[in-house]
Amino acid sequence: MTTIELLAQTGFPAPFAGVTLAHYLFVSAAMFVLGIIGFISRRNLIIMFLCTELMFQAAGIALVAFGRYHLNFTGQTFVIFVLTVAAAEAAMALALVVLLFRRKESLDAQVWKDLRG
Amino acid sequence: MDTILNPFLLYGLLAVIAIGVGIALPRRGFSPQILGGLVAAAGGGLLVAFLTLKAGKDFPNIYFYIFSAVALGAALRVITHPRPVYAALYFILTIIATAGLFLILSAEFMAFALIIVYAGAILITYLFVIMLATQAPREEDIDVLTEYDSEAREPLAATAVGFLLMAVLTTLLFKGVATLPPAPVNRTEALLAEMPRKVERVLENHGLLKEGETASVVLGADGLIEAVRIVGANGEGRALSRGEWPAELPVKNVEGLGFNLLRDHPGTIEIAGVILLMAMLGAVVLSRKQVQLDEDAKLKQARTLAGPLSEAEAEGANG
Repeated sequence: MTTIELLAQTGFPAPFAGVTLAHYLFVSAAMFVLGIIGFISRRNLIIMFLCTELMFQAAGIALVAFGRYHLNFTGQTFVIFVLTVAAAEAAMALALVVLLFRRKESLDAQVWKDLRG
Repeated sequence: MDTILNPFLLYGLLAVIAIGVGIALPRRGFSPQILGGLVAAAGGGLLVAFLTLKAGKDFPNIYFYIFSAVALGAALRVITHPRPVYAALYFILTIIATAGLFLILSAEFMAFALIIVYAGAILITYLFVIMLATQAPREEDIDVLTEYDSEAREPLAATAVGFLLMAVLTTLLFKGVATLPPAPVNRTEALLAEMPRKVERVLENHGLLKEGETASVVLGADGLIEAVRIVGANGEGRALSRGEWPAELPVKNVEGLGFNLLRDHPGTIEIAGVILLMAMLGAVVLSRKQVQLDEDAKLKQARTLAGPLSEAEAEGANG
């Protein structure tokens, strides 16, 4: 019986193989690393913050996959809090971006490099 | 400890993906983004194919491959597209594909919450800010990209660091996780034992429970439901075995999630509320426009606010 049929019939998740978990964790790791590469290499402030959201997504995939593997809901519950933190971060970050843009009329992260001290 | 994939194969393929991503990052002049994307896709595809060969009949279902390919492809486009608006739109594609992955993982509530909260709210805020914080282009150079969008900062170093991290992560993952034992108890099913009212309501709706009878769930040693016990008013009981109870008896995703959230993490909800409140206040304070007033203007404003009475007082004090 395939997973989908089992899900449809009983409403319960079927047991989950470890190798299948590794598939999801690989996707999660790849997405996280793409987020990090984007955050380091892009110079546009808004795209840098989009990349942090990409990393939140990756963490969410890993949480839900582990929750599914252990057949409980805690992983999904924590994705709710990841969403909360992501929303709070987006509000703050975008307010900051607007503020910084008003100061220097540019979204380039390089124009703030004198903050390095 | 059993290794899922040969480490040298793994590192070789990761290097191929890294080269692809490095080529795809925007740079001045000749920037073969499609070529980079294809190289990265080939490397990633081979890696997942080897993983699937190893998984044998345990491989995840076919939609996993479609959704993860869309998610990772769109993620690559988010970090390589020179125009911020398109990057944000590709991010929405990533979110929708991730929601698809969540559906396969039977996390239905989170899948739709993700689309509503992320694609509906957060990304629209991003688009607003992109529109707000961009100078309106002049008529003749509407296709010209700004310098900071068309050129990545240190693309090679960033890719190298990123894929070093990826190599460490996947090494741990392909060595350790496969030996993790599956959960001993099916907690999804065990949860039903704590919801007697739900069991009774479902049975009532299906005409299986009469007036004055109570129902409870009997759990077996493996954490699965053995039987549903129904006890009448006069003490006599009967049991429904698997297959006899209605299909809607099992805990649904939203019920289980709500139960878990409110029973196990009530304090965390409060903290989440405080975080959201602080973010709201912070955003209001940060983005408020500061108006510079000199001393005379401030004094004048204070008088207007204080009203006619204090104005008379002020005159009296002067005279």
